[in-house]
Amino acid sequence: MKAFPKDKLTAVLDTLAKQATLWVPAIVAGVSRFAPYGPGREVQLGANTVMSPKEALFPATEKIYEYSAYGIDGEFTPVDPSVGPQILFGLRSCDMQGILCLDDVFLTRGYVDDYYAKKREEATLVTLGCVTPGPDCFCYAMGVNPAEHAASDAQLFDLGDAYGIVARTAKGEALVSALETAGLLSESDKAPLPTGDFVLKVDAEGITEKLQHMFDHPLWDAFSRKCLNCGACAYICPTCHCFDISDKKRNAHCGIKIKCWDTCMYSEYALMAGGHNPRPSKKERVRQRFMHKLRYFPERYGKLQCTGCGRCIAKCPVNLEITDVIQQVREAKIDG
Amino acid sequence: MSDNMRNNVRDNMGHMNNQLTQEMRDLARELLASGEVKGLFGWTKGSRWYLTPPVFITKPEEADRLCYDEFAVNNLTGLLLDFRDSQDKIAVFVKGCDSRGIVRLVQDNQLKRENIVVIGVPCPGMGDKGAVTDHRQAQELPLLAKCLECRYPNPVLADRTIGAVTVTTEPSAAPSGATAEAAKGRGVGSKEADRFAQVEAIEKMSPDERYAFWQAQNKKCIRCYACRNICPACNCRECIFDSDKKNWVNKAATPTDNAFFGITRAMHVAGRCVECGECERVCPMDIPIMAMNRKLIGDLNELFGPYDAGVKADEKPPLGAFKLDDPEEFM
Repeated sequence: MKAFPKDKLTAVLDTLAKQATLWVPAIVAGVSRFAPYGPGREVQLGANTVMSPKEALFPATEKIYEYSAYGIDGEFTPVDPSVGPQILFGLRSCDMQGILCLDDVFLTRGYVDDYYAKKREEATLVTLGCVTPGPDCFCYAMGVNPAEHAASDAQLFDLGDAYGIVARTAKGEALVSALETAGLLSESDKAPLPTGDFVLKVDAEGITEKLQHMFDHPLWDAFSRKCLNCGACAYICPTCHCFDISDKKRNAHCGIKIKCWDTCMYSEYALMAGGHNPRPSKKERVRQRFMHKLRYFPERYGKLQCTGCGRCIAKCPVNLEITDVIQQVREAKIDG
Repeated sequence: MSDNMRNNVRDNMGHMNNQLTQEMRDLARELLASGEVKGLFGWTKGSRWYLTPPVFITKPEEADRLCYDEFAVNNLTGLLLDFRDSQDKIAVFVKGCDSRGIVRLVQDNQLKRENIVVIGVPCPGMGDKGAVTDHRQAQELPLLAKCLECRYPNPVLADRTIGAVTVTTEPSAAPSGATAEAAKGRGVGSKEADRFAQVEAIEKMSPDERYAFWQAQNKKCIRCYACRNICPACNCRECIFDSDKKNWVNKAATPTDNAFFGITRAMHVAGRCVECGECERVCPMDIPIMAMNRKLIGDLNELFGPYDAGVKADEKPPLGAFKLDDPEEFM
């Protein structure tokens, strides 16, 4: 396997940063997230980030078009969705799986979201095999292999004192050959370090089928009692993809149409014109969140919409753990 | 502290927690079995040793799920807002800081006092799970900053108490009840004089530095509203940030719009923040929200005299009442 010593990481990143906007897991103002690499960037490859990398492909706030409208004279100027070539470096398998979920939503079933599609097309995804699962990690239970992900363009492996790198696609090969040209790679016969034990255990086998019979189950009341209906879980999640289209007005006549993250946790999310809200209380909103991840998404796209990254577990203010939801759903009795 | 002493402290705390947990369960069972309350908010043991999250129970047999230890950090009082339109009587366990949330909600006419059974618990000071290094093993964790700065370790009001805790509205009273020695030993309240240290540090910055500091924080905010939703003072039925129809604010998570959210929220809870520190604890982006709240608390103390929100139910908040001798510097 081709490899570069860990102490050459900066040289590797410097090389890649010359080719594209390079997103790396880093500490930014005290919070770990993916951020463009540059001078002074505090790279952190040792643990999963608080914020998922989805913001590189699906920004929290994105301009769609500028408009002006004076009487019957209206015009709009689309905003180019391209941001140029990007490399997402050091994604974990859970995050790679999250991007596959976003792909399903934004690129398949008859509608392509240009804003996502363009960024995705321009992105090279470099994943890093996990050695030490965090306390809130459970990707194994969601069918994700923490050691490597087949869908990545290039896969990094922790070899102890070096990172092994294997290209999986043409984009990945271009990236590896750039590192080779820079003289940063050599052959290594070391085996990747194995993935350590998971602390958090859960068995999600059959969860989708079970939930198909639990829309009216009292369990949702119990879960919702402690939920705050904040959006922390959704906004740090690698797969949550809901957005709202609204305006940033300059004045009464012109402004910018924007696309912003939104979440089913918020009371206004399902509010309809006329005032009806089909999800009037926390119970319906909490149910929606878990049903979407564990039932509707698998029904529609054939894969779970939770990748076991554990972020929502780590940051939920009331410790409403999706693993606990799965466990209790498994144990729940269904009447009739 | 030697390993032996540390083990002793842990053993004693474990013993005490078991006793308190037992008292909690007995009282909860009694309240639910007698029909005195329809439901009860407490804490239960989570999936790992450093997690003791909220739980809501409605049946006496569920009382055995209750648990209390130094990780029962959540202030449960905000969860009562789900019952503000209900006539059901609900019980809630409160530590000292949490109890001020009840006063807040009653003063804001969000809850009818007679619909809430407040159960005061002694507080050993809460451990900082952020300091967990080995998630597999029990270990002694440092106290949360808010516990080191605590000025109300005992409940300021309670209908019932457990663990022989005393109810007092006296600021800086010594921790009382079953966990008193542990709380003192762990340093609960030992840094109360440092409560405004961060505010002072920020005030010492040049205007440009201060702007850069807050811009960096505002840039981080993801507008998840965890701070708002856990706060007993943030109890508006309709929040302007839930809708961009008003055109004062929009959903773009830009530093400017985020600053507008943060400042509006801080100003809105000015004079009403009960200093439970939950906003800052739950912020996934580690924004020092309490620094802003404390700045306003300091200013209010300076303008209107010393005032602690949510302590005395019959005392009007300085910004919620008018007095002829109120300062009018802006006139």
